Amino acid sequence: MRVANGSTGRGPTGSAGPRRGAADGPATLPANDPAAPSADGTAALPADGPATLPAGGPAPLAADDPAALAADGPATLSRLPVSLVAVSAATGAAVVATAYTAGRLGQASSAWADRLYWLGQSLILAPAAARLLSRRLVTAAETVTLVVVLTVAEYLVKVCYSPAAFSYPDELMHWRSTVDVLQTGTLFTVNHLLPISPRYPGLEELASALTSVTGLSVFTSGLIVAGTAHLMFVCVLYVLFRHVSGRHRVAGIAVLCYASCSLFQSFDSMFLYQTAALPFFGLTLLAAWRLTARETAGDRAGWLTVAAASIAAAVVTHHVTSYMLVAALVVCTLASLLAGDRFSTAWAASLALLSAVTAACWVKLAAPATLGYLQPAADGVLQGFRTVLTGGHSSAPPASVVPLGNQVLGVAAVLTWSALLPCGWRQVWLRHRREPWIVAMAIGSVSWYAIVAVRLAVADGSELAGRAATFVYVPSGFIAGLAAAHLIGTAVRWRAPTLAATALAGALLLMFDGLANSWPPYWERLPGPHQVAGTERSVGPEEIAAARWALAALGPGNRFATDSGSYPVLGSYGDQNPVRSVAYLYTSAVFTRSDAQRIQAQSLLYVLVDQRLSQSLPASGQYFPVDPDAGRYTRPLPAGGLTKFNHIPGVSRIYDAGNIVIYDVGGA
Amino acid sequence: MRRSHADLAVTAAVAVLACGAAAGGVPMAVTAVLGIALFAAPGYLLGQLLLGPRIGGLERAVVVTGLALVVPILGGLLLYAAGVPLHRDAWLGLLAGVTLAGGVALFLRRRTGRAAPSGWPPEAWRRLPPRHAAAFAAAVVIAACGVGIAHLGVAMQPHPGFTQLWLSARYENARTASLGVTNQQGSTTRYRLILLRNGAVSATWNLTLADGQTWRQVVPVTARYRMAANLYRLPDLGRPYRHVAAAGNRAAGS
Repeated sequence: MRVANGSTGRGPTGSAGPRRGAADGPATLPANDPAAPSADGTAALPADGPATLPAGGPAPLAADDPAALAADGPATLSRLPVSLVAVSAATGAAVVATAYTAGRLGQASSAWADRLYWLGQSLILAPAAARLLSRRLVTAAETVTLVVVLTVAEYLVKVCYSPAAFSYPDELMHWRSTVDVLQTGTLFTVNHLLPISPRYPGLEELASALTSVTGLSVFTSGLIVAGTAHLMFVCVLYVLFRHVSGRHRVAGIAVLCYASCSLFQSFDSMFLYQTAALPFFGLTLLAAWRLTARETAGDRAGWLTVAAASIAAAVVTHHVTSYMLVAALVVCTLASLLAGDRFSTAWAASLALLSAVTAACWVKLAAPATLGYLQPAADGVLQGFRTVLTGGHSSAPPASVVPLGNQVLGVAAVLTWSALLPCGWRQVWLRHRREPWIVAMAIGSVSWYAIVAVRLAVADGSELAGRAATFVYVPSGFIAGLAAAHLIGTAVRWRAPTLAATALAGALLLMFDGLANSWPPYWERLPGPHQVAGTERSVGPEEIAAARWALAALGPGNRFATDSGSYPVLGSYGDQNPVRSVAYLYTSAVFTRSDAQRIQAQSLLYVLVDQRLSQSLPASGQYFPVDPDAGRYTRPLPAGGLTKFNHIPGVSRIYDAGNIVIYDVGGA
Repeated sequence: MRRSHADLAVTAAVAVLACGAAAGGVPMAVTAVLGIALFAAPGYLLGQLLLGPRIGGLERAVVVTGLALVVPILGGLLLYAAGVPLHRDAWLGLLAGVTLAGGVALFLRRRTGRAAPSGWPPEAWRRLPPRHAAAFAAAVVIAACGVGIAHLGVAMQPHPGFTQLWLSARYENARTASLGVTNQQGSTTRYRLILLRNGAVSATWNLTLADGQTWRQVVPVTARYRMAANLYRLPDLGRPYRHVAAAGNRAAGS
């Protein structure tokens, strides 16, 4: 027996009439539907609807409804089939892969390879965005396909950057933890690079389980886990947006706006614990939405179980995600209160309480170090705002100078978001202010301005704002999607293709900003030869060989001094314990008694010296994980600062591979 | 087997076959496919048990995927708490156990009419016109080519060769140290290694190492000597190619 996708009970608002979110259901529209006649008496066209509707005809069908497609006839069909969009996106991924290969073969700095990269990205983004923002019809199935195609294509781009092994520092940290689980058969092992991560073992459990039952490598299993989690998160966002808005086109555009988040293509799809936790964040919200829907009565126990399991999984997988989940549910509770929906309020509050208690119990019982781990970031934000409020300027100088084009793109994106969000709020106020979930999205979207403030006011604010964007863009993307869909609807009503083109240009601007000003940074846009103190281009055979030698010859957990390029490799492949504040050991040609005392105070046993530090400026702007001169280097480090260890009594030169030399400083 | 229970039969078969494949020497590809299916099976069954086929399409897919991911996370924690080492047998037992238990529970619920039989693929996919299906297939092939190109780039990327030389003792007060050479030059290379004690030649080795090959020797160490090793890359004997030196007691392990 097949059961219809939608249902026609009372919605989460408790209002009578068709359920918002019954996207595939009957064409009847609720009173507050955008397709209903607007207050200013304009034609009754759906805000995100088809281009043609008979004037003075019967009540229009929702554009989402397949019935609308038939009613509107072939004239409203797009000439760009979704299958062609998929071909374009796949071609784009292949073009980007070609640009990456060109970079590896010595063209990493050439303009044509860079243009090839952007051509590939254009082939991925432009057709999908054009199709979603088209004035012509897009069915529910097409919208889902577009969302999936876009997500998969961008994930393939990420895979092609490093297709044989993990190279991003954070991925290496989790790779280490996964290998530890596989080797020891226990959880909560020691991770010197990211000590907090083993206390949240969800990702490592998934990867080690998959590796164990399939026989695949940790890298391949990691790619499968991260890719599945990322795609699931995007799909669950789409489903949630579709239920909340009642329209698949709004949901599709909202996901498009979300995909402009700077970490969408990188951090949120990498082998990281946040990537694994995000789908549970989304699934809990989806279950919460279902629980607040009155027609879910028969399935309420099932959805409650799904919510509880998702909350538990999110809590044991990533700290910040679980706290953001609590915050999101609290906002839903407040919005339900504002909308006067007691039923919604009760469910949202119950789930918020359950999430908070679960997270608190986990911190108390399994991860007490979490507060100490997060406190510096929180203190930094507070200190930054305090400084700004007292008339100071707390932002640290940028470690590297961002190209002017990227800066212009960033400013244009901020202005576009700043314009879109108020338009979305206006739509919420006019048409949806009695709908708790849409009100919750509106409240949540205000946080977008908060992360802009953090970016401007706080030292290292770009990093913090970027991390927060993953969550902030959920409500912001929805509200922006609502605004953009209204813009398209207006374009349809006014027969103004310029408006639709403006919406498309705005969406593409946001997405290209998300790519240009995110990861990889412009100085590592393409993979290529080794870069001094870079990130992924500092992970090469020589660094890996040195790290593996350290593990085999010296054993795990030794405290090492090293530069920022070798730092993650030494901690992951080498399972060593690299120390962050070691710049003093490399910058002076003279080894002083004070240096010896600091070595003892830091319990350093070994110093890894990469001779190339004296040959090039640091790609990232800083040579060391904590570098007091970050962004201020005008010439490479003096060679004497690197070779002085050869002449210090009590220091042994125990490893020499040419560029990389390791010294035993235990007797210094 | 009735059509309505076919999904139960498939998931049970996956559980049994995956365990069998892990125990026997079957090809890696088969183990991988069965392992991935076993990974997904509990999610499908739990989704059917909890929500049945009343939700459709994408929503069902995300719930099923979410539940499939929940099982190893929460199940692994329970196994850890029970003191079970999280090796392959434990993961296989967990996933196969949940699959079989879920299958039995779903079978019983279906027999009593409290759960609906399995559904069929969405109509939309059956209506997909051949030209669109061909385009999607082409997209998959093109994407696979892209990944292949990326792999090719990794394989072709030039890296400067290097040679590792080391002289180290793993523990303090060790009486021996490890002296070793690994050739990573990309081709077979000839070396001469000279070990010095207090500046005098103690031993000499002529080495011919293939790419990736390692030579190592255990050498005795005492506190009385300062040890050093010079590695020459033949035919150049004028300047050491690599150099290590153990000063004092610590690195030499004395």
